[in-house]
Amino acid sequence: MIRAFTTTVLALGALAITAVPSFAHHSATMFDDKKTVTVEGVVKKFEYTNPHSWLWVDVTGKDGKVTTWGFEAEGPTTLQRAGIRPSDFKVGTKLTITGNPMKDGKPAAIWVDAVRADGKKFNPRAGFAIK
Amino acid sequence: MTGTSVVATDHKMSRCTRGVAAAGVLLALAVPLAACTKTAEAPTAPAQPAATLPDRTKEQNIELGRQHKTAFELYQALRQEAKGGKPLQWAQMPDWSGVYSRPANAGFAFDPDQKPGELPTAKLTPEYQAKMMKRIEDLKKGIEWDPISTCSPPGHPRWLTEPFLREFIVTPNQTWLINEMVNDVRRVYTDGRDHVAEEDRYPIPNGDSIGFWDGPKLVIHTNQLTSGIYQRAHPDFTDQVETVEIWRKADDKTLAADVWVYDPPALTEAWYVKQSYVKLSDPDRNLRIRYWNCGENQNNAVVQTKEGGTQFRGFTFDKGADTQKGKP
Repeated sequence: MIRAFTTTVLALGALAITAVPSFAHHSATMFDDKKTVTVEGVVKKFEYTNPHSWLWVDVTGKDGKVTTWGFEAEGPTTLQRAGIRPSDFKVGTKLTITGNPMKDGKPAAIWVDAVRADGKKFNPRAGFAIK
Repeated sequence: MTGTSVVATDHKMSRCTRGVAAAGVLLALAVPLAACTKTAEAPTAPAQPAATLPDRTKEQNIELGRQHKTAFELYQALRQEAKGGKPLQWAQMPDWSGVYSRPANAGFAFDPDQKPGELPTAKLTPEYQAKMMKRIEDLKKGIEWDPISTCSPPGHPRWLTEPFLREFIVTPNQTWLINEMVNDVRRVYTDGRDHVAEEDRYPIPNGDSIGFWDGPKLVIHTNQLTSGIYQRAHPDFTDQVETVEIWRKADDKTLAADVWVYDPPALTEAWYVKQSYVKLSDPDRNLRIRYWNCGENQNNAVVQTKEGGTQFRGFTFDKGADTQKGKP
């Protein structure tokens, strides 16, 4: 079942989010880091590009209407360091993805976490970890 | 000279081996072979000279910055202390190989010792303090614009802070300090040249860097820089900014740089920070620095709002839009 909902992040969660680096290249102030949105859908397109990558997900609402959500992450090498490759999100891949949504209500968010239908998790911010 | 020596050694070895084979006496083989092997020893590489400059504490480095009025004065003092520095030969170059990144423990803060929630550690003139405070107040209201949003390079000294992949290429006459972001390379000339003549200088994002080796330590002076910001929620620097850096391997995995920033319009004293870059483990050899085309995806294009904030220009799946870079 495909769904979309927004929640206010608990205080502890908010601290964790603000502790990670903000986006390079452009400010992230158009996103609300105190909220998260989670959607279930299928991959429409994975733009594995610099300076940011975008995972586009088609989400079908209860009324059958399809909305394309965009999830922004860092560029290719940071995603590689997080173990996220282009082949992980082929067109049509089913997933549940969570992000900090845009303040103006547009269907886009900073990609925080994603879980594929096979249970594999993907956290782009892990790409900044030194290991 | 080295090439000639290797050829001669190979020749001796070859002649010697043939002679031994012709003898055909197995029991006697060990003695002449040992003699031949001795003849074929590789030339000994010259040892890397030790550093003359001491490792100073943070407090000592802050004080060192205060003792010198300009970056170039500090650079000259370090060169004098290092007895002029000594050019290295190829075999003496330190091993800075590998792919590195800057730990993001303190986010992108210019000073890695900046505590969360605290202000940057720079000592600012009133004008630049006020500018920074306005930037921070605006950010609290959700208003922020980063000058690199339109894909211009971060520029030095901000170059030090970016969190992406880095490589460091050392050669006797030049060192390349590379950050993958916008294919950003700083070239440091260690062949004894001076800076560009003052009347011919013009501002450029990474400036003009000259340096000298003090054993395994590379000392750099950089001028001819453009103005910019150290990072978001940080102060501005002007096009009068100059830096002195001492780079060296702190341990097998860490490259460290002592950095002093001088910028009279903005700083009341040199801003000393210590930067570190950690070698990433890459057992599968997957890490590669690729060409960074900042304008390749129009879905990353942002515009400055009337209030001074940042907003996306608009999303598209039209591939042709990616070729419209720079179109208003």
